[in-house]
Amino acid sequence: MPKKLHDNICDEFRFNALFKKHSKDLYNFLYYKFGDHLNPKDKTQDAFIKLWENCKKVSPEKAKSYLFTIANNLMLNEAKHYKIVLKHQKIKPKHHTNESPEFVLEEKQYLEKLQIALSKLTDAQRTAFMMNRVEGKKHKEIADLLGISRKAVEKRIYGALKKLREDINEL
Amino acid sequence: MKREDLIKKWLDNNLNPQELEAFKKLEDYNELIKIDTALQYFKADGFNSNIELEKLNTTLKQKRKQKNTWLKPILRIAAIIAICVGFYFYNYNLDTNINTQIAQKENLNLPDNSQVKLNAVSTIAYNKSDWKTERQLALNGEAYFKVSKGEKFTVNTTSGSVTVLGTEFNIKNRDNIFEVTCYEGSVKVISDKHSQILKPGDRFLILNGNYIENTTVSEKSPYWINNESAFKSMPYSQVIAEFERQYNVSINVTNVNTNELFTGSFGHDNIDIALKAIALPLNLTYTKNSNKISLKRE
Repeated sequence: MPKKLHDNICDEFRFNALFKKHSKDLYNFLYYKFGDHLNPKDKTQDAFIKLWENCKKVSPEKAKSYLFTIANNLMLNEAKHYKIVLKHQKIKPKHHTNESPEFVLEEKQYLEKLQIALSKLTDAQRTAFMMNRVEGKKHKEIADLLGISRKAVEKRIYGALKKLREDINEL
Repeated sequence: MKREDLIKKWLDNNLNPQELEAFKKLEDYNELIKIDTALQYFKADGFNSNIELEKLNTTLKQKRKQKNTWLKPILRIAAIIAICVGFYFYNYNLDTNINTQIAQKENLNLPDNSQVKLNAVSTIAYNKSDWKTERQLALNGEAYFKVSKGEKFTVNTTSGSVTVLGTEFNIKNRDNIFEVTCYEGSVKVISDKHSQILKPGDRFLILNGNYIENTTVSEKSPYWINNESAFKSMPYSQVIAEFERQYNVSINVTNVNTNELFTGSFGHDNIDIALKAIALPLNLTYTKNSNKISLKRE
């Protein structure tokens, strides 16, 4: 059995490294799962503060899943009553455009449909799907982050895509 | 390769060139690309991990400051000390209580060297820590005070309060009787209805709720401190009550009017002589059975 280098992360250097490694993934996870209105940035901060306070009890290998669990619980305490709607950025007007106004309007409507369809996905589907499509993460990486199997990730993503297409066509 | 598998592989960004060609030929291709492009608009807004880390470290720095490791044991010690000090002051501020049992007398000195003689079945309570500013005590029963000169000295009883500067006096606060006798100096007595300033030899007396005026004594100190109980025109019930307090007996009377006035005394040392002393003057016979005594008029 390999000897562990450190048995805790109570050290500023190691802790900061840990933050750089996991904070963005954690933030994205919270954002795609719960949306923006519950302040995923603050929850990310809070989760790391909790981790620091309990740094003696959490081994480096457990730190990632500890963070995700804590942050998820922090969110769940508040999230129960909200319907999750992801914000989309405004379509940037292009300076030189040969697109017709109809086309721009159509595109805008399409985004709105997509927004509704996204909010209809389950938390699990949306999280895995957005991490994959928007953040460009491989199935294996997502599986590691969420602590589920690769097969399950694939199922969630494919299921999400299928449901999105159905919902968009219906709208 | 099947359509579903191609899409799944595409989702995992895992298509090889031939598969990519095949994927592009799928009728879903355009729709999928459209969704995929549009999805980019939903990207989580910029999370800058450097800025966030700085923010976190500022928060943690404050917490680290608060949580100095050496502070914990010191806090523990401080807590123990605080409890001890608190306990000490609690005890210190508690009233001092002194009480006597049947047939027991007690001599005690108050913090200012005033002397108190406590008769049987009596209680006094006072507060040591307040004594310097306020000489005040509560009495239930009978006690003789020799108060040394100083600030106002107050004795509170259920029947009234007695205030002096420095003197000698006796207070008897029992069932149906409140009696204050002054032996030296002057004493101010305040009860519900009456107040009076006593000079040496004066006595303040409330018997069965009635104020009795202008009674005096001739002795220089109460008899009881010399182990004798003396009565001057007192109801016989008072005599019996005092007897019971001095000898730990219970007295049963038959055919005797306990309101009859009694003048005389009994000693506290010999119960047989004492019994004769209270029985003979009223022509009573007595029988004694361990600690039960019955008095009878034939």
